[in-house]
Amino acid sequence: MAVTLSTLTERRNLWPWLLLAPLAVYLALFFLVPLAEVAIMSVTEPRPGLANYEKVLTGSLYRKVFLNTFATAALVTVCCLLVGYPLAYLMNATTQRRAMMILLLITMSFWTSFLVRTYAWMVLLGNNGPVIWLLETIGFEDPPGILFTRFSSTLAMVHILAPYMIMNIYSVMQKIDRSLIRSAESMGAYGLSLFRHVYLPLTAPGIANGSVLVFVICLGFYVTPVLLGSPREQMAAGLIGHQIEEFLAFGLGSAMAIVLLVVTLIVLAIYSRRFGLDKLYG
Amino acid sequence: MLKDRRNALWRPSRRLFLQGSAAAATALAAPQIARAQNKELYINSWGGPWLEAAQANLFDPFTAETGIKITTVSPVSFAKLAAQVRTGVYEFDVTTLGGGDIVRANQAGIIEDLDSPYEGGLFENGVASHAFATLMAWRTDAGWEETPQSWADFWDVEKFPGARSLQRYAARVLPIALLADGVAPEDLYPLDIERAFAKLDEIKEHIRVWWTGGSQSTQILRDGEVDMIGIWHGRYFEAEDAGAPVDFTWNQAEIDRAYWVVAKDTPNMEAAKMFVEFATSPEPLAGFVSQANYGALNPAANEFVADAAKPRMPTSPDNYPQVFEQDMSNWGGDPEEVSMRFDEWLAS
Amino acid sequence: MDRFLRWTGIAIVIFIAAPLVIVVPMSFSTSPTLQFPPPGFWLGYYAQYFTDESWLRPTFNSLLIALMTTILTMALVVPATFALVRHKFWGKGAANVMMMMPMAVPHIVMAVGYYSYFGSLRLVHSHLGVILAHTCLAVPITFLVLSANLKGFDRTLERAARSLGATPRQVFIHITLPILRPGLLISALFAFIQSFDETVVAIFISGRDAETLPRKMFDSIRQEADPVIAVISTLLFVAVFLGLIAPHVLRLFRKLFSRAAPKPVRATRNTQATTPQEVK
Repeated sequence: MAVTLSTLTERRNLWPWLLLAPLAVYLALFFLVPLAEVAIMSVTEPRPGLANYEKVLTGSLYRKVFLNTFATAALVTVCCLLVGYPLAYLMNATTQRRAMMILLLITMSFWTSFLVRTYAWMVLLGNNGPVIWLLETIGFEDPPGILFTRFSSTLAMVHILAPYMIMNIYSVMQKIDRSLIRSAESMGAYGLSLFRHVYLPLTAPGIANGSVLVFVICLGFYVTPVLLGSPREQMAAGLIGHQIEEFLAFGLGSAMAIVLLVVTLIVLAIYSRRFGLDKLYG
Repeated sequence: MLKDRRNALWRPSRRLFLQGSAAAATALAAPQIARAQNKELYINSWGGPWLEAAQANLFDPFTAETGIKITTVSPVSFAKLAAQVRTGVYEFDVTTLGGGDIVRANQAGIIEDLDSPYEGGLFENGVASHAFATLMAWRTDAGWEETPQSWADFWDVEKFPGARSLQRYAARVLPIALLADGVAPEDLYPLDIERAFAKLDEIKEHIRVWWTGGSQSTQILRDGEVDMIGIWHGRYFEAEDAGAPVDFTWNQAEIDRAYWVVAKDTPNMEAAKMFVEFATSPEPLAGFVSQANYGALNPAANEFVADAAKPRMPTSPDNYPQVFEQDMSNWGGDPEEVSMRFDEWLAS
Repeated sequence: MDRFLRWTGIAIVIFIAAPLVIVVPMSFSTSPTLQFPPPGFWLGYYAQYFTDESWLRPTFNSLLIALMTTILTMALVVPATFALVRHKFWGKGAANVMMMMPMAVPHIVMAVGYYSYFGSLRLVHSHLGVILAHTCLAVPITFLVLSANLKGFDRTLERAARSLGATPRQVFIHITLPILRPGLLISALFAFIQSFDETVVAIFISGRDAETLPRKMFDSIRQEADPVIAVISTLLFVAVFLGLIAPHVLRLFRKLFSRAAPKPVRATRNTQATTPQEVK
């Protein structure tokens, strides 16, 4: 019986669909339906119409928050690159042992809950924390408070997202053929010019991968900006949460959520046309 | 009755089966519904000194008297109260609301109709429990030559430089802004909303934290994250008792009244109403306010209040002349709209 | 130039390491505030964590939810991954996209959806609701890890067994499963951690009766920065540390004790480090 069923389905190519069916049904019920609910709420709450989108797209507050979200995501991406690129380079240049140690450290950071890392930054940057203490010890008079500012939340986000960037760049660098570099050197390319004309183009895919990943995750970041940031520089996800939690403004929150989703998907779509989405998370 | 039930047992009808499976399904999905039969009550807690005092003087005695177990849920959230009615899933049955929120809540129909347990105790379907103050406190290690006297000094960043904090709560912040702008307490209501926002513009960039929870306000004052703060008096004393270098003034402290309310249509209605009556009866209330330094709003409680607690109570004869009260019936705007506007102002 | 690079490297390593190690001394501090250097050391906050029900219950909830999520995710994803990796069929591209979608949607968007949708299903504040939501969020990462393993699977062994007369079922149980076991374990681990760490959706839907550890931590950090958080952070950090160190130690031991019969050890570590998990 089982054999005949399986041969039957194999012939008609139904077997893979049978294997997929439970997950497909599940995702339809518990992923697509709630997602559709957000879309529906955005045009029906509190009353049918496009009023929510009008408010989100034209209201000065919402425009400011979205612009700020973009700016922060871009800034975090650039900072991750500034942190990740040199480190990935050094991991390739240094001894095997040291590279392994750094790799272990990055993996450890990656696997540590981001709530823990957010909290750790709160400890580090607090007014009685080590950073201020260090500044005072080396002679700074009355250093300014840094917690609950744009600086503190950006710093923490860079720390949390840097492993994505480092791993992406590192894995690309590892694949670079050393002989290419050597032959470039033999033709007289040194220092900056070697870097610009040989090394940078070869590592570009890693940079692109890491940047898109960091940028997209940062766009939807909720926890860290809410806990460490300043209320004047809110990000989109934080404001969505606030609209729902404080005002039960499901319509407005949903409209913002849909805008955030569309923006995220556009970034991913542009990227996938260029590189293919499956490579991003490889 | 007995016969009916036996019949049903013999011949399990379709209806009974349906009921049974529905009960099983709800038990699986929403344990709190199945629990309604158990004697249990969920109360929204403010945490910190409030919770300690409430646990010792209200919750434990109530459980001892009635056998109803009390579980606390935090943090306090007006939106949660409203969300419960929307979703039908109850996180808590009883909560306390301040004057600003209770009008909103009653208008929105999210709280039960209650009877007044004592003369004049009912306001907008909440039973008046205790008074608390939002006062101005500061770090004594901020390095200022003078001592701040009033909210006007809170706005004076040249004389008193340093980071500041206020509650992220329009109804309490707007009157403070008007006082800082020179409005006399007796002329405060109805509020001049425009003027208040204009005054708030001046201080905005100096507010490092808009605190949202009581314990958070204690923490940032105690740890010195800010130098000056508008803080609930109970939370201020918590920081002072922890040994932090802080000081405060009763002058222009803002009195708010807290009311017990019952969530609309909650499954634990009966127990909830019993508790509200118990919590506002003279002796438990007196114990509660004595421990947490609140002002009792049931006058009958005052004879049981310990004298030692009075210097820290905002409503005691020595302190009351310096403070001012919220006047929600003559507030000057729609609280819901104003708090929306306040939030947009915050982020802009 | 070289020296400059070297110092840059050291600075970056400190930047990455500092937040990880700082919580450890803080968890032993006697100070209720975030004071550095700590005025004294004790184990009081550890005692508090292990005796306080308001911390233990979320810990238990999180473990239970993560375990159930892992089981449900694996039950759904394993067959689907076999279908997608081993078969060619119409609609495969679409199915692939479907598997990855939960990763592309910001968690806050899903949180809003679940809050409303599960509200109407009466699933808010229940373990079941959180498990159902977390399973969706765990699908992409589990699929990625498992399919990477399955793609590298050498099928000649299966064919050999078939040609020797084994039924497809026997082949699956005796050949496919044992070879795939490390991959299955790692993908299950990813599902578990995805659920255990998930914060945003849990904040909105886990509520009173199914409160998860991240939600409790988030509330506590936002409200009062309870020193117990440093304890939990240290415990979680140590768990990760041990988890990462364990394979190395194990290998070392094997090397030491199996000199008589040296065996090649399969390295699976690289998948851990290079495969991201959605962070919020």
